[in-house]
Amino acid sequence: MRPFLLSRDTFHILVALADRDRHGYSIMQEVSERTGGEIRLSPSTLYSAVKRLLEQGFIEELEERPDPEHDDERRRYYRLTKAGKRAAMEEARHLEKLLSDARASGLVRKRA
Amino acid sequence: MSRFHTSPAGILRLYQPFLWLYPAEFRDEYRRELCLAFVDRWREERSIAGLLFVWFHAVFGILYQAPMEHYHMIVHDLRYAFRILRKDLSMTAAAILILALGIGSTTLVFSLANGLLLRPLPYPQPERIIAVTESSPKDPNETSQISFPNYYDIRARTRLLDDIGVYASAQWPIRGEGSAERVPGARVSDGIFRVMGLDPLLGRTISREDDLPNGPKVVVISEELWQRRYGRDPHILGKTIQIDEDRSTIIGVMPAGFHFPDRAEFWIPLHMDPAKAPRTDYFLRAVARLKPGVSVEQATGELQSLLEQIHRENPAVNNNWTAHAIPIRDFVAGTYRKAVITLLVAVALLLLIACANVCNLLLVKASARVREIAVRTALGATRRRLLRQLITESLLLGLAGGALGVLLAYAGIPALLSLIPVNLPLWMNFSPDSRVLGFAVAVSLLTTLAFGIIPAFGSAHADLTDSLKEGGHGGTSGARSKFVRHSLVIGEVALSVILLAGAGLMIRSFLALRTQDLGFHPENVLSTSLDWPETRYHDGPPARALLARLTAEVSSLPGVISTSFSSGAPLDDGWGRIFTIEGHPRDLKDMTFINHIVVTPNYFHTLDVPLLQGRDFTEVDFDTPHIVIVSETFAKKNWPNESPLGERLRFGPPKNNEPWHTVVGVVADAKHGAYKGEDRPSVYLPYSTDITPNVLLVRTTGDPLQLQQSLRSRIAAIDPDIVVSRVFSLEQIIARVSWQDRFLTVLFSAFAALALLLAAVGLYATISYSVSLGTHEIGIRMALGASVSRVRAMILREGMTLAGAGLLIGLVVAFALARLLKTQLYEISPNDPATYIAVLIVLIVVAALAAFLPTRRATRVDPVVALRHE
Repeated sequence: MRPFLLSRDTFHILVALADRDRHGYSIMQEVSERTGGEIRLSPSTLYSAVKRLLEQGFIEELEERPDPEHDDERRRYYRLTKAGKRAAMEEARHLEKLLSDARASGLVRKRA
Repeated sequence: MSRFHTSPAGILRLYQPFLWLYPAEFRDEYRRELCLAFVDRWREERSIAGLLFVWFHAVFGILYQAPMEHYHMIVHDLRYAFRILRKDLSMTAAAILILALGIGSTTLVFSLANGLLLRPLPYPQPERIIAVTESSPKDPNETSQISFPNYYDIRARTRLLDDIGVYASAQWPIRGEGSAERVPGARVSDGIFRVMGLDPLLGRTISREDDLPNGPKVVVISEELWQRRYGRDPHILGKTIQIDEDRSTIIGVMPAGFHFPDRAEFWIPLHMDPAKAPRTDYFLRAVARLKPGVSVEQATGELQSLLEQIHRENPAVNNNWTAHAIPIRDFVAGTYRKAVITLLVAVALLLLIACANVCNLLLVKASARVREIAVRTALGATRRRLLRQLITESLLLGLAGGALGVLLAYAGIPALLSLIPVNLPLWMNFSPDSRVLGFAVAVSLLTTLAFGIIPAFGSAHADLTDSLKEGGHGGTSGARSKFVRHSLVIGEVALSVILLAGAGLMIRSFLALRTQDLGFHPENVLSTSLDWPETRYHDGPPARALLARLTAEVSSLPGVISTSFSSGAPLDDGWGRIFTIEGHPRDLKDMTFINHIVVTPNYFHTLDVPLLQGRDFTEVDFDTPHIVIVSETFAKKNWPNESPLGERLRFGPPKNNEPWHTVVGVVADAKHGAYKGEDRPSVYLPYSTDITPNVLLVRTTGDPLQLQQSLRSRIAAIDPDIVVSRVFSLEQIIARVSWQDRFLTVLFSAFAALALLLAAVGLYATISYSVSLGTHEIGIRMALGASVSRVRAMILREGMTLAGAGLLIGLVVAFALARLLKTQLYEISPNDPATYIAVLIVLIVVAALAAFLPTRRATRVDPVVALRHE
């Protein structure tokens, strides 16, 4: 079986950036909300992942401010790149396949 | 901005310090973001528990992530370094090879030092074991031994020693239960085993009762002997073993690896009587174990006062000798210390040259990388980041060189040991251990620092705009870097000159040693020790008949010119005695030693020692034993103005009243005891009923070692119980006694040769590089009509200027340092002009060659191409 392409935290960060560009704290909030508070990224975990994602080209830092109303000039905003989107989708497909395999084998009950 | 300022600044103070755990680059990049995110998160919470959770969560996040960031950065740097190094494989290979040679040689010499001087002896608490010696106040090196009665009294009176034991090592023939062989063993007092602190594997060791004058004949054997001769027979205790003439009962087996002294495989009691043994007979060595907490100095103090006390009680034998306590490791290996330190210094110089060489390579390479670095700087790489990257590259080179060097050292150890013809004590172990590996790693890191720091700083600080403008030729080709590169080459040359001078002096000294006039001709002489069963051939007529038969049989072998027996082979015998000249009584403390040599007729003929006055010994002298032949120096010293013939002397301390011996002849001086340095004068006695010499000397027409086989079979035909051992040519004996000098000379010369090679490569590389930088200039000059020879001369001049400067500095330093070699040199002054002239010539020739090769390339420059070079 193919190993996971992205770590859990990384995947969540990409997902958080899927609908709009965000700054760091916003990503933390989004991940927390989306998972019902189950996953709370610490600032250090977030920025280590951000650094890696930037290096891999999965996200990019924005130069313009997308949200002028709540703008804070010192905050950095990040956007999902095409490569990042592709990676996240591939990961999602992979997870989907895993799940369907698990259902087919009866390990996980099929949805009604 | 306002949000940041309204945030609780206090809590940031509890968060920010942890950010220092991050690599600087990461911290610089994300410090603000991390703080902002932390504060935002903080403000989300209301309860104390929630706030605590946020803080712990954030801090633990850092504690987990910061090391990861370091790891990522290192991996990134290493990957990048790998790519860079792989891009220029020839330069990488050259640097690694040079470093491997430097680090490998250093590690090799260090493992030698480790085995000889550092590794603890394989006994419990070895730092408490000392040697106890007595020595003449006139010459502290006169003996390293002790007399039995003095040992006996010290043992009874000491308060600072836990125990003291004495031993005399020798080889004895073991017969029966398998083939006869000569086995190294020792006569020991009971204390030896307690001093060494090891228990037997089986049975017991020698007890004090065993060692009484008429004690039982018992023996303790080594595990190896037990294995070899008895196949580990579990019922070995109580069996007897025939050692020389005695059957001794085996009472114990020592554990594997116990071979004290040297290579001993069995131990028998001394059985000496303190009342009968002379106090001035020094043939025993003593070892003792200090009581816990007692220092070596305290022990020496006690021993000296004990010996003074003994002398006061026995005024007739008071020779003013003093006692010393010496740490056992110094006692056994102290003589190697100077040589080992000399080699370590030599190899350190070699390592420095290697560093300078690689440093130069990196500088040249750095100039080719100026663009790359400028681009990276422009893209935002900080100076610190670049520095770290460059040092990572150096580190990779250093560690690769170190790893290869350790392998080289590992491979070199057998070669090194093969230069040692004598049997070193078995406990000396030269295989690399954790100390050697630790040393190699430390040296690799230091080396990296030494060769990597200058190029790294140079590159990381190179001016960005200049570099980009100069189109890849700027940066380190500038005046400052040229100065650094030239200084490095000058330093390399200077260091190699120092090593060459040292090697030159050692070679000269070694040649002087090996070509010295020994007073006899060692070529084509075979020396052999024979041990016959003394019950069958006891001293007197039976032994005389055996010697006559052996002489006749050996002489009849083809290729044998002359045969004789002596009590010791030349240069392999240290039997000394004190003496008195008739009519010149001397106090015991003023007496000096002579070589006491017992020979059969034909000895002088066999060794080619000229008879100067009087007559040689004849077969008849066996029955007129109280005559001697003396050496020329002895005669001149003791009878300066008269003929020594007919004069009389006697041996031993005055109170012994030994018989007088009449001088019947004088022979030329022939070295017998000491190969290096001054030998004692010699006095020769004819063999008689008192002493039967057992070293057979045979002069042959060809290679004496060829005789070995026929000699052995001829002797076995006479009596198979005669044990033949120590079969050496006299030249082999000389090689054995001078091995340290040879060893030092060979290694030092090898290091000097390597140093010269590295310096030449460094010079060549530097000149080549300036030629390549100067292609444009050369092109212009040639286009303007400069002749090839003119251009050549210009380049050669640059090279020779550098070499000349290095040579000058090197010679001055070498001249100053050579004094340190003085004690290692034999009859050669540290300022020996011939050596320095030779070094000068060798260096000029090599430097000229190294500087000339690049000129050929320069003069092949096509002016048109060169001018288009920009």
